[in-house]
Amino acid sequence: MIIVRPFSRFLFAATVVTAGSLASLAVQAQDTLRYATIGEPPSLDQHVVTSDLATTIAHHMFEGLYTFDANYEPQPLLASGDEVSDDGMTITIHLRDNVRFHDGQPMTSEDVVASLKRWGEHGSRGKLLFANIEDVSASGPHSVTLTFTQPFGPWKNLLAFINGGPAIYPASVAGGHDATPIPTDQYVGTGPYVFGEWRPNRYVELLRFDDYESPPGPASGYAGERVANFERLHFIPVPDPGTRVNGVRAGDYDYAESMPSDLIDELDADPAANVVLNGGPIFGLVFVNSNAGPLMDNVTLRQAIQAALNKEDALRVSIGPEKLWRANGSFLPDGNAWHSEAGTGRFSEGDAEKAAGLAADADYDGTPIKFLVSTNYAFHYDQAVVFTRQLLEAGINVQMVVVDWATLIQKRAQPEEWDLFFTHHGFVPDPILISVMNDNYPGWWATAEKQALKAAFTETNDPDARKATWADIQALIYEQVPTMKTGDVYTYNIASPALSGIEGTTLIWPHFWGVSR
Amino acid sequence: MVRYLIRRIGMFLPTLLASSFLIFAFIRLIPGDPAAVMLGDQATPEAVAALRAEMGLEQSLLHQYIIWLTAALTGDLGKSIFFQVPVLDLIVDGLETSVLLALFSMVWIVILGLPIGMLAAARRGSLLDQGLSGLAMFLASVPTFWVGLYLILIFAATLGWLPSSGYPSIFEDGGITNLRYLLLPSLALAAPNAALIIRLTRASMLDVYREDYVRTARAKGLHPLAVVVRHVFRNALLTVVSAIGFTVAALISEAVVTETVFSLPGIGRMVVQSILRRDYPVIQGTILMIVLLYLTINLVVDILYAWLDPRVKLR
Repeated sequence: MIIVRPFSRFLFAATVVTAGSLASLAVQAQDTLRYATIGEPPSLDQHVVTSDLATTIAHHMFEGLYTFDANYEPQPLLASGDEVSDDGMTITIHLRDNVRFHDGQPMTSEDVVASLKRWGEHGSRGKLLFANIEDVSASGPHSVTLTFTQPFGPWKNLLAFINGGPAIYPASVAGGHDATPIPTDQYVGTGPYVFGEWRPNRYVELLRFDDYESPPGPASGYAGERVANFERLHFIPVPDPGTRVNGVRAGDYDYAESMPSDLIDELDADPAANVVLNGGPIFGLVFVNSNAGPLMDNVTLRQAIQAALNKEDALRVSIGPEKLWRANGSFLPDGNAWHSEAGTGRFSEGDAEKAAGLAADADYDGTPIKFLVSTNYAFHYDQAVVFTRQLLEAGINVQMVVVDWATLIQKRAQPEEWDLFFTHHGFVPDPILISVMNDNYPGWWATAEKQALKAAFTETNDPDARKATWADIQALIYEQVPTMKTGDVYTYNIASPALSGIEGTTLIWPHFWGVSR
Repeated sequence: MVRYLIRRIGMFLPTLLASSFLIFAFIRLIPGDPAAVMLGDQATPEAVAALRAEMGLEQSLLHQYIIWLTAALTGDLGKSIFFQVPVLDLIVDGLETSVLLALFSMVWIVILGLPIGMLAAARRGSLLDQGLSGLAMFLASVPTFWVGLYLILIFAATLGWLPSSGYPSIFEDGGITNLRYLLLPSLALAAPNAALIIRLTRASMLDVYREDYVRTARAKGLHPLAVVVRHVFRNALLTVVSAIGFTVAALISEAVVTETVFSLPGIGRMVVQSILRRDYPVIQGTILMIVLLYLTINLVVDILYAWLDPRVKLR
């Protein structure tokens, strides 16, 4: 009896505690959206980090002056409007006057100037814009003036692209940091969610910002009204794709990203999960070394390599279901304003005979061509294997150098270490953001013809003129072969059927304002 | 004994020091740059160089090592490059998961391995013995990730009895009920090791069955159950217990796959992810802690041996 009584008390107490704990978990689950990610982001600082996962989380708490609507057109977000001078050299951006930061302070032009300056100096995408900017200054408490050295057409698209983009931080945060990512205790933005906590290896938590002032207008893409229905968002690293799938089926996660391509038909038919296609495809790119090695200045040999490749075969092997890929030579997808067929006749010839002839014309002597590829992304490796076989059939001696991603990004910065390397590119709403347009991106394509076209592309604000010039640049890419696009890949995510407000297609990164359970 | 202790502890410190240098140097021999990984695909070389300088990676290897070692001696293992939090905090957080996972697995191994092994031995040659031996072979053959995914599919996705993945700490909301998150992972991790114990228990018991004292026990009319439990099992247990001891160490390294499949925040998955990110302080801090753990266990075992068997000190 002496033993049993305390034990029964303990049992009763344990039952009460357990029931209480389970009840509190159930309440929390109702208010929390649980998102299964493929891993963890390096930092959420949008100025200097270009990770897509970082943006998926961060764009709930950081906002820029502009954002994209459902048609990928830039629309005001923290801005209320703008004026462009007749010569296109001076742009005045007016700010919404009701915006507050998460720390309660009102957003002013001082914060915007400090944020743009840090982004322009230390952000890889910011440098693209600031190479053409003479001055950024406050022209009033709620207006900022950008003075350009020459007209620069893509300015609004660059300001609207939040990935590696100009998120607006308080001046005290932006002004106090350089290229080093800002620490988590200084994550202060203007978005509908506030940074909660980052539990390494467990989750990143965002909490609803109750004093959030939504931009006006109906929701469209990332533009318009933003309503935070969930009290908190949890981004949970779940590296195994099978676990992410089963986690959504089991109701442990509300949303899971990057599903395996071979499960698309099964998940399409699964009542426990809704498939969400990523509207903006990613695309593989094989960069060619323009700085060193046998391909450096041998354009005919580059064309031989391009002629040997059959991209459709590689896509079929690496991706599988045809609804998830397109053998599309245009750098921007079908239906997009920037879509162009210029030069795409050379996209996927797969002609070994023609390739061998071009290699002979290029006086190719069988020198090994080092093809750097990573195993971290299965489709990189799978496509590289197919391409290597196709090139060997054309008599081009390609040797794969297989490394992990961290090694690849170190080696590709050293021109003598590689001749070709495989990477992929996320969807971007303006071609100026495609890495091959950056002269300093590994590959280092900076011919006189490119420079002339690039100048014509950026120095006008006329959309039709820019589209025509982009078509010329794309044709030049297929002519000089600084990189080879390998085709569009449509990744997809899955969502719990209990979520409402989730559309069948994401714009670029999923967002959870306007979503409820 | 005192001289032996001094000599043994004297070996401990140089071993730890040499290990720390080897860990530090080998990690940096792997190509790859944490600054480039952190800033992403579009980062400019200038931004990467600036971040490298900020992280202190431009200093000589020896200089970096001395700074790290000096801090480590005071218990400061540095900050994670990736997470910007103290490495020690990450290790402590990860250890909770890993240790509990190992303990739960041990429970599964014992409650599955011993009775099934005993039963197979008691019914040797029967259909039941063949079935149980076949089960052991199956569990030993199938990969842990496969077992894990099927357990998730059956018990989480289909039946909805248990969570599919993750593990909130028992010190958070949910408290002790959070341990249910470890039931499936520990079962997956235990499966191949339980198979080993089943086979070992069966083989050891069959060896003991052939001993004269067992025959004597039977001859004097002892109840068959008493023969098995009191004479056979107790003597067979010595070998099995040694094997279970070895299994504990193996569980820590085998947990990497389980922690990945079940998305558990343990130290195994943390080390693998840190290697991919080139997060040097986390890799070297965690491996150093594991080395320290193993060296300490060895030291304690050696001292115990010396205490139990005085001849050891003379060698």
